[in-house]
Amino acid sequence: MWFYIKLAWRNIFRNKRRTIIASTAIGIALACLLFFDSVMIGMEKTMVESATATFLGDAEIHRKGFRDKQEPDLTINNLAEVTHSLSEEKIVDRFTLRTLSIGMITSPENVESVVMVGVNPKTETYLSTVNDAVTKGNFFKGDSTRDIVIGADLADILHVTLGDRVVVTVSQAKGGDLAQELFIISGIYTTGVKEMDSGMVFVRLPKAQAMLGIPGQVHEIAVKFTDIHYASNDKLFFWNKYSQNGNEAVSWGTLLPQLKGVSKFTGVLRFVMSAILMFLVLFSIINTLFMSLYERLFELGVLRAVGTKPWGVIKLMLSEAGALGVLSIIVGLTIGLIVTGITTVVGIDYRGIEFAGTTIQHLLYPVMKPFQFIVYPIGLFIFTIIVGLYPAFVAARMSIVDAIHKSL
Amino acid sequence: MTSKSEQIVVTKDLKKTYKADGIRVEAVRGVDLTIEAGEFSAIVGPSGSGKTTFLNIISGLDTPTTGEVWLKGQLLTKLNDRQLSDLRRDNIGFIFQAYNLIPVLTVEENIEYIMMLQGVPKLERHKRVLSILREMGLEGLEKRFPPKLSGGQQQRVAIARAMVSRPTLILADEPTANLDSTTGTGLLKIMKELNQHRGMTFLFSTHDPMVMDWADRVITLKDGHIEKDERKN
Repeated sequence: MWFYIKLAWRNIFRNKRRTIIASTAIGIALACLLFFDSVMIGMEKTMVESATATFLGDAEIHRKGFRDKQEPDLTINNLAEVTHSLSEEKIVDRFTLRTLSIGMITSPENVESVVMVGVNPKTETYLSTVNDAVTKGNFFKGDSTRDIVIGADLADILHVTLGDRVVVTVSQAKGGDLAQELFIISGIYTTGVKEMDSGMVFVRLPKAQAMLGIPGQVHEIAVKFTDIHYASNDKLFFWNKYSQNGNEAVSWGTLLPQLKGVSKFTGVLRFVMSAILMFLVLFSIINTLFMSLYERLFELGVLRAVGTKPWGVIKLMLSEAGALGVLSIIVGLTIGLIVTGITTVVGIDYRGIEFAGTTIQHLLYPVMKPFQFIVYPIGLFIFTIIVGLYPAFVAARMSIVDAIHKSL
Repeated sequence: MTSKSEQIVVTKDLKKTYKADGIRVEAVRGVDLTIEAGEFSAIVGPSGSGKTTFLNIISGLDTPTTGEVWLKGQLLTKLNDRQLSDLRRDNIGFIFQAYNLIPVLTVEENIEYIMMLQGVPKLERHKRVLSILREMGLEGLEKRFPPKLSGGQQQRVAIARAMVSRPTLILADEPTANLDSTTGTGLLKIMKELNQHRGMTFLFSTHDPMVMDWADRVITLKDGHIEKDERKN
């Protein structure tokens, strides 16, 4: 076999230009696949991080039914027990408590519906990026219970700015009486997420609890795991443990199903890219091998005449396909590593673009995974050999007399 | 059929008909011929006389339409493709008009290829290659690639390749056609010596009067059948 590999390697360099064109075409396709795949993994990671880090958290615990109905009565059962248990969890890095209620915010100029979020500023900063997104004022640095932090888009709608007064109206638990409070705008934030910037206001947790008539109670616990991958593990005991006593624990994948769908979408795109690559390989290899075959038909005829069996010719042709595949892989990996490597450092600027309900807020950094540099090249090599079977069988089945026509 | 141990090639009423551009061509029309071990024979005849087709059939490269052909006692029409490959590998050495060495293989690799197919160990192959190159006056050229050799040198390598596996029969198609008369004579001398000293059987297909002069037997083909079969004393 070694002899055939040596012969094949020398044969493919007999027409250097053709070999360079074919291997570069296949190599570029492989590099594109590697780059595209890395971008997709990076995009998925960036989007998940954007979605979870902005406000959501890796997982959330609610009272069952709260996510659908948003009723103020549906507070988390056995809160003290749950929070104590969470603080003991090894996989939980941080968590924060929140109330969530739909209400109205009124300024002298306008009125708008909002979600009022009661937060503990200290723990909230670990779970969301609202603190970092404050562009005017601050995120509850003072000690006033009337401080409210609103989004920049909402401030525009209400025609208000820092220090202005607004009134928030919510409906209370147990009966639905309306509760109103006057707040003074202490911070204005811009996250880039339209729904948040125009429809979410933050007040201190005790103030919100008092307004809603649920002292000491919360609607939501946002959890950050020590590793975000725990959130993707459906079999994690965490979900069962905190989905008892009328509560439910869900991951970001459940909270943002459209984001989860991105994974499937990228899988389809990956398949399409792979198919394009395979077509390129198919045509390049078949074209190159057939051109090579017909150019030296006489030589193959001589090899057959002197006693090479059809299988020997197949081995030779497959070795040539393999050699071309290896060359293409070297080209592809080199280009892929350079291009993808550079962009993993420099990043790609897709900031502000909304995709699957999530706004990309950071530079997108492609992520290179070892499997890409193992699975794709091996797949390409195997496919090259499979494609090479066709010209190989044609060569093996050719008539020796036709091949050495006008000789003996 | 009785044993043909001294008879290298035997053909009986060999016929070959094929179609070329829709026209039926009777290339070989009932040839009965025996080539015995140690012969130095030439098949001559004008173009279209059937020389090429006849040699293709006796070497197992082509099949007859009717008739029988034996090579070293084996009826070729009964053998499959693999068996024919083995038969050619072990019994026939080919010398082609245009040398037809593999250009990407060195002189040594070209010569040892058939031995490699035969499973001869590497060391033995190397020894035999060096020995035959010495015999052919090609010492020191074993690492050269064919395109770097002259026409005469390439044809000597082709002869070395044909005989290194010690075949029973060497078929040479116009071996001197691309060579000047001095080089051609030199090569014929080498082949004649191999024939006389090693008992190798040579069968030439040629137009060259010089080859006919060297041959012990001249078989003239015309319109697909033997017109004349002359043996020299």
